[in-house]
Amino acid sequence: MSGSAEPRKKRKMSRLERKNTLIAYSFLAPNFLGFAIFTLIPVVLSVVMSFTEWKGGSLTTMKWVGLNNYATIFNSAKVGKQMAENGFLSGIGYFFSKVDLGIALKNTVFFTVVTVPLSLICAILLALVLNRAVKGAVVFRAILFFPYVASMVAICVCWNFMLMKNGPVNQFMMFFGSTFNKSWTADSTMAMWAIVLVSVWRNMGYYMVIYLAALQGVPRELYEAATVDGANKMQQFFNVTLPQLRPTTFFASIMLIIGCFKIYDTVAIMTNGGPGRATKMLVLYIYNEAFTNFNYGVASAISMILLLIVLLGTILQFSRENRYSNT
Amino acid sequence: MKKAIAMLLAAVMLLALASFASADENKVLTIVAWDANTTGYLTAQKEAYEASHPGVTIEYIDVSSQDYDTKVAAMLAGGDTSDIYMVKDIPALLNWYEAGYTTNMNDFIANSNYDLSGFVGMEVNYAMNGEQIALPFRSDFEILFYNKDLFDAAGVEYPNNNMTWEEYKEKALAVTDTTKDIYGTHYHTWLSTAVNYTVADGVNTLVDGEYSDLAYFYQLIQDLEDAGACMPYTEISAAGLHYSGAFGNGNIAMMPMGYWYVATLITNIQNGTYNVKNWGLASMPTKEDVKAGSTFGNLTGAMINKASGNQELAWDYISWLCGEEGSKVTAGTGNRPAWVSEGVADVMSSVDGFPADEGSKAALLPTYVAIEIPGTEFSSQISSILGEEHSAIMTREITIEEGIENMNERVQELLGK
Repeated sequence: MSGSAEPRKKRKMSRLERKNTLIAYSFLAPNFLGFAIFTLIPVVLSVVMSFTEWKGGSLTTMKWVGLNNYATIFNSAKVGKQMAENGFLSGIGYFFSKVDLGIALKNTVFFTVVTVPLSLICAILLALVLNRAVKGAVVFRAILFFPYVASMVAICVCWNFMLMKNGPVNQFMMFFGSTFNKSWTADSTMAMWAIVLVSVWRNMGYYMVIYLAALQGVPRELYEAATVDGANKMQQFFNVTLPQLRPTTFFASIMLIIGCFKIYDTVAIMTNGGPGRATKMLVLYIYNEAFTNFNYGVASAISMILLLIVLLGTILQFSRENRYSNT
Repeated sequence: MKKAIAMLLAAVMLLALASFASADENKVLTIVAWDANTTGYLTAQKEAYEASHPGVTIEYIDVSSQDYDTKVAAMLAGGDTSDIYMVKDIPALLNWYEAGYTTNMNDFIANSNYDLSGFVGMEVNYAMNGEQIALPFRSDFEILFYNKDLFDAAGVEYPNNNMTWEEYKEKALAVTDTTKDIYGTHYHTWLSTAVNYTVADGVNTLVDGEYSDLAYFYQLIQDLEDAGACMPYTEISAAGLHYSGAFGNGNIAMMPMGYWYVATLITNIQNGTYNVKNWGLASMPTKEDVKAGSTFGNLTGAMINKASGNQELAWDYISWLCGEEGSKVTAGTGNRPAWVSEGVADVMSSVDGFPADEGSKAALLPTYVAIEIPGTEFSSQISSILGEEHSAIMTREITIEEGIENMNERVQELLGK
């Protein structure tokens, strides 16, 4: 008989309840205001701006252009022509080899796909080593964490010197038979690896600390049980340690993926997107369109693409959260 | 007690009045500039203006030279109210104009009977749609610096003001001594110092979408690099080597660079920072079918920020800076003012430390100066595209032909050709 039940009347709040609610809102207000002013409003403005043409200055000069900015960044005219004339795959190939957005997307995805697992692996390995009662472990932890708090500009300039033609890295590689004899940042393949190297080196110390904390929380009994069952160290690592670290890995991978898609400083200082467009990343592309070419509309449209990718990636990961977590 | 309180109140009022009075007298003019703390002419201009205008204080807001355009863009977009912004290049100024950050100076010019003739027409490069949105105070053009001691040691004649690029190449190769790390010439990483000489004929420009004429200069540089006559681009860019230190080190025989380097060179030689002792200037080499003494250049200027609450004072400063008095001060620091008269020219050649030879003096007056990159709707984007392809060519990741094909294709696409 639920269908015939009278709709429940909204109960009037008592004075005390109202007072408590107001107090709750007043506690929430500062945080929400900060979020609204510095995040929500800019995001909404950015969405609107992506459909406009605006060179900055007075808002009255903003012109609604619909999807034009998206057509521009995807170079839909040329890509469409390629698809019509030479097939779908040819159009896709053209997009990823000739169009700025395609190149920046390809570079950013490649950078993310390589950097995230490498950072995680290095961080776990370091955490495992330093989790033992090693002499001087505290000093090593501090040294490994240092790159994360050091100035990015200083780090990049130092690495640029180390990766020069006759720099220590090339000398070291030559010792093992490498014939590569060029500055890393001047080579279109190695420039990307230079950025990966610096990023992994910088990230691993931070995530090592997080993994160290997580390792402290793995119950000893699990290892004792595994030992009783005859598991060797390797089996213990894969069947006890790694599953226990899943929530941490989940958190670290989300943070790393978002960080990788947002990479700017390392690229701007080390290669500025070069040579050619070999290391042009999405945020560098956005920055140049906005603050060099003053195409705020186009820059906002690229930002929307970036937002969409990061959002989809995060949703996908959260949807698999249960698998990663222990609950 | 009452008497004491009254006296105290009176004293407070007097103090307040005095502070209001002094605030009214002391006007502060804020100017956004690059390398303000290390640029000699900015200090000289500030001191001279403050001396002749008591009660006005100039405060520079220093922005790093390398990121000037992007940082200034962010400042202007953020509603910064600094009175004057120094203008580094025309594409950036055009962007500021389109964004509505500039002030139309037409009325100021008309009302103050300001004399534009000293610019010899160069001020039009700062005019957009009939509005004079900035005025130049320096006019730097590309010129060839050379180290006389290295030429003497190699027994090679100094560069002259009528050289062709082939003669330049021969001299560079002749002076080079790879055993002593002596390079015949030096190219900074910018596209302009490497290949922009193509615009010196007055026909080619960097905004037309056709770049086959750059191939000659790219080939010239690659030949010189291969012969060890100049440092490889890859090393200069990876090390972030600044051109000033490179030439100052004393092992580079020639270096094409903007005239602004004269002041830096003189200062650093005088304070003993540089190893270079004897140096000279020559006109940029030209291709055989281009008039000798032709080069390209850029203007450095100042614009009044539309958001400034001090526009009258800002105009007073700019009209002084870009007039006879300011130009003499600028010339006195070894820089070439945009506004030139006979008196200003005399000051330029009499700067302490300026080379005494006739050739260097003659090089001060080029026969033709093309603008480095004309201000158009697409100048910034074209600069970005050319810069990307330039780095790919110079690192030899692609061939010169591929790079030029990419430049043509990408810029023509941008221009809708």
